[in-house]
Amino acid sequence: MAKIVELPRLSDTMEEGVIAKWHVAEGDKVKRGQLIAEIETDKATMEFESFDAGVVLRLLAPEGETMAIGTPIAVLGKPGEDVEAALAAHGSGGATAAPAEAAPEPAAKAAPEPAPEPAAAPTEAAAAPAPSATPAPPASPAEGDRAPGRIAASPLARRLAREHGIELSSITGSGPHGRVIKTDVEAAAAGRAAAPGAAPAAASVPAGVELDASGRPLLVRPDEPVKLSQMRKAIARRMSQANAEIPHFYLTTVVDMDRAVALRDQLKSAIEAKVSFNDLVLMAASRALRVHPEVNAYWDGQTVVRRGNVHLGVAVAVDEGLIVPVVRHADQKGLRELAEQARDLGLRGRDKKLAPQEMSGSTFTVSNLGMFGIDEFSAVINPGEGAILAVGAIADTVVVVDGQVGVGKRMKMTLACDHRVMDGATGAKFLATMRGLLEQPLAMLA
Amino acid sequence: MPLLQIREALRAAIDEEMGRDDRVFVMGEEVGYYDGAYKVTEGLLKKYGEKRVVDTPIAEAGFAGVGVGAAMAGLRPIIEFMTFNFSAVAFDQILNNAAKLRHLSNGQFTLPIVFRGPNAAAHMLSSTHSQAFESFYCGFPGVKVISVATPYDAKGLLKSAIRDDNPVIFFESEVMYSVKGEVPDEEYLIPIGKADIKRPGDDVTVITWGQGVAVALAAAQLCEADGLQCEVIDLRTLRPLDDEAVLTSVRKTNRAVLVYHGWPYGGTGAEISDRIQRLAFDHLDAPVERVCYEDVNMPYAENLENLVIPSPERAAEAIKRIAYVRV
Amino acid sequence: MSPPSAETSPAPVAGRDPDELRRLYTQMLRIRRFEEAAARAYTQGKISGFLHLYIGQEAIAVSTAELMKPGDRVVTTYRDHGFAVALGCDTGACMAELYGKKTGLVGGNGGSMHFFAKDHGLWGGYAIVGGHVPVAAGHAFASKYLGDGAVTLCFLGEGAMHIGATHEGMHLAGLWRLPIVFVIENNQYAMGTPLRRQTAVDDLTVRAPSYRLTSDRWVVRDVFETRARLAKAIDRARNDEQPGLVELLTYRFRGHSMSDPGKYRTKDEVEQWKERDPLFRAEAELRGQHGMSEEDLEAIDETVWGEMDDAVRFAEQSPHPEPEHRFLGHLVEDDLAAAAGHEPVQEGN
Repeated sequence: MAKIVELPRLSDTMEEGVIAKWHVAEGDKVKRGQLIAEIETDKATMEFESFDAGVVLRLLAPEGETMAIGTPIAVLGKPGEDVEAALAAHGSGGATAAPAEAAPEPAAKAAPEPAPEPAAAPTEAAAAPAPSATPAPPASPAEGDRAPGRIAASPLARRLAREHGIELSSITGSGPHGRVIKTDVEAAAAGRAAAPGAAPAAASVPAGVELDASGRPLLVRPDEPVKLSQMRKAIARRMSQANAEIPHFYLTTVVDMDRAVALRDQLKSAIEAKVSFNDLVLMAASRALRVHPEVNAYWDGQTVVRRGNVHLGVAVAVDEGLIVPVVRHADQKGLRELAEQARDLGLRGRDKKLAPQEMSGSTFTVSNLGMFGIDEFSAVINPGEGAILAVGAIADTVVVVDGQVGVGKRMKMTLACDHRVMDGATGAKFLATMRGLLEQPLAMLA
Repeated sequence: MPLLQIREALRAAIDEEMGRDDRVFVMGEEVGYYDGAYKVTEGLLKKYGEKRVVDTPIAEAGFAGVGVGAAMAGLRPIIEFMTFNFSAVAFDQILNNAAKLRHLSNGQFTLPIVFRGPNAAAHMLSSTHSQAFESFYCGFPGVKVISVATPYDAKGLLKSAIRDDNPVIFFESEVMYSVKGEVPDEEYLIPIGKADIKRPGDDVTVITWGQGVAVALAAAQLCEADGLQCEVIDLRTLRPLDDEAVLTSVRKTNRAVLVYHGWPYGGTGAEISDRIQRLAFDHLDAPVERVCYEDVNMPYAENLENLVIPSPERAAEAIKRIAYVRV
Repeated sequence: MSPPSAETSPAPVAGRDPDELRRLYTQMLRIRRFEEAAARAYTQGKISGFLHLYIGQEAIAVSTAELMKPGDRVVTTYRDHGFAVALGCDTGACMAELYGKKTGLVGGNGGSMHFFAKDHGLWGGYAIVGGHVPVAAGHAFASKYLGDGAVTLCFLGEGAMHIGATHEGMHLAGLWRLPIVFVIENNQYAMGTPLRRQTAVDDLTVRAPSYRLTSDRWVVRDVFETRARLAKAIDRARNDEQPGLVELLTYRFRGHSMSDPGKYRTKDEVEQWKERDPLFRAEAELRGQHGMSEEDLEAIDETVWGEMDDAVRFAEQSPHPEPEHRFLGHLVEDDLAAAAGHEPVQEGN
């Protein structure tokens, strides 16, 4: 079998090289140790002597082109041997293909650049946009050191205070710079135990136990770390990433839903289709995205990429967290089909019966907490998308129409936008289109 | 029990081990005919002859390397550096040969060798002859490091070092060779890697070794006036460190001061300080303090030298500071 | 550079037995092919670090191996593969060490520059220039102390003749009349610096009398001659308390290490030295004087290549050392603990 000569590594730091000069031609006979080429490395131009003997059947690499180490540069063998077979066996097309890719500098640079794969981004997590809760305040400031500024306390004092259930902020530190030290905590614990001395039970109460108004000890329950599900981990990771990397801004609008509510009632009785308000929102969003492709876009790390398809992610709460099944090509589907698919995806999602591909590839996401009575909220953008729509409940609202006070059905929607992808006006126009569609829903169905 | 000087205790250890194993030999500058620059090896040439008490030229790299090679070939050399300051010339032999050859050869060789001699400041020797080397020799794996402060420890630990199959760095002190202490007549060994509580106490842990031990004990005495009982721990072995002895004490006292000869930047003191904050964090009621050389080259002038070297007063100040005793 | 002045070419050495020449030739060829296989693996990115090849100097290691008695030791530099192969180390284990594998000569701890094979008399490849010279003197010191009759052979490059440790080691060896021969493998260049820019003398054996070492000096172009003259030096060190210093004029045909293009020397110079190449000359002698056929020579080469291909295969298929291995071997206790199944201990963690 013919032998493939690869571009050798000639220094410990060399990653690619250039054939400066071939010293053999096709058809030449080569001995072991014979100089066959000069190769430019990162350090010097080195002479490359053949490790094998044979006839040069083919020179694969032209002089002057940059190639990676290990790129086939020549084939040696007996005259008449099958070069293609040898290359195939070697598992490469040879340098004819390889250097073409690697040759011109910009191209060579672009190739290995780890381009974030658009499709991969949403694929990765089954989890996604969560209502962007501001970081939950600690359930109880147990350590007492979160109050304005950090309290100086020795590690031992902190531990003792924790054990006694005493808030550090309630102790005056006697150490340098007001540092709370062991003796301070011990004094506080002793004082605490001594204070309710009037109460008859106090004598038997161990130091550090808190009592209620009638002198009964309050139950102390320890904090418990929760073992994380994979979904929780994924949500934590991706939402942290989104919050850290995406410059969010938020736009809120109020939609008059009177006609939409009426339409839904008609549809219900007329076609026996189960159409939710959210389905109408999904439909409006899919149409509006076609009108405003600049919103159906994302930041790929270097530039804005407009998505060709409209795949709508629909956030669905499940026991462990939330999932975002995707209605693909939503803009090409009618209301009935959209509603059926959204419903089916939601049901199967709660039963954990969705295939990964049914939860990936969304280009825009709708999150609706209306059914939980939330009026309005803002959501975190799913990495790989440029915006997310957070939809609140439809509420009977006092409205003024033509100077008359009346009651109307109103719904608030908040669009979170990636400022790298779009500006306020872009998002506002998109919301205006959506509002128009939802306020004239028949036009949307036409 | 007889009272011996540290130099006598060391000599007794070498003598006993040479008598016990004829592969043990001493090599170094002036160890033979001169009877030792500090008289540690006095009389050994007469007793064991030139073969086993070998005078060398001033060639530390050479004889340190010869020691390494001889140890690889089965001998048990005791290499004396007239002072550890001269070991700098032989550092490559210790760092790249003694400490590495067992590992490099994947266990084909053992290196039963002791490098011993005085370490750290003596008195008015200026900067090149007053250096504390524990931070250098503790800073890499493949060696054990010992530093002794009493005749009893000196003898018991040197005997263990000679019997150890690894390279051992054994620190003594010029100014301590005449320190006297009780040494039993009967043979004993002190295990490498075990600290010793030189004075028990509940209030502050004082960790020390070598020349620092006397300073720490004096400081503990000074602190008694303030009602503070210091626990003085003499590490004796610096590598491997007796973590347990240190941590047990710190968990009791909730505070620690290190008193030692050596520069403050990095090194052995910093290492111990790190272990305390890491392994006893929730037990600390105050920062770990270090009382050591000031970060200067050792001056020759006596008054300046006294300022640079840790004193009992400086140590006592630090002890009181972390015990929150108002001074 | 012109041919060295010390062409003290001796009278033809007696006993040029064709079978023996063939054996020595094969040994030299094994080293060369090992190095070539290593170079190939290096260029393929399969091994890393520094790789210093012995190509051109093979006759020295082969002659040395011929002369060693049980207990004798070789201590050498980081250019150490040739001695390992000549002293009978398994080429698979040698290659596996270059690959950093568990099955390597030192379990992957040392790599190319730190070969140790105590049982084969290879007491180490040392990577700090001159640092091994006192150590070798120490081995000899032990031999004298123990009276074991062994000789230590300490190899060093001519570049190591200018560093302190070398002289301290030689000095002590001379002073104490230790059974040792220091062998300078003068391959003309300390990395890229030619001898004339390293030292004011061009005969390095002028150092010998100042340490009371015997001396000899010759061009290594014939494996028989090299063996015979080395034997004399070793004999005097072993039997007459006459430590020696030998300077061997030789040449490495490759760069200092793999990344060295060797621009500091001319093609002509390399070609001149290639004519002195003991391997080349042995082959010519086998072909010419002894009438060995091209097929027979090729058969030897194929056999040797087969061994090296096996060595490479062995190295490639060998497992990496277990992660825990990195904690082991620093102190005796580490290995005892490991043998007893205990967790390795690390200072500071």
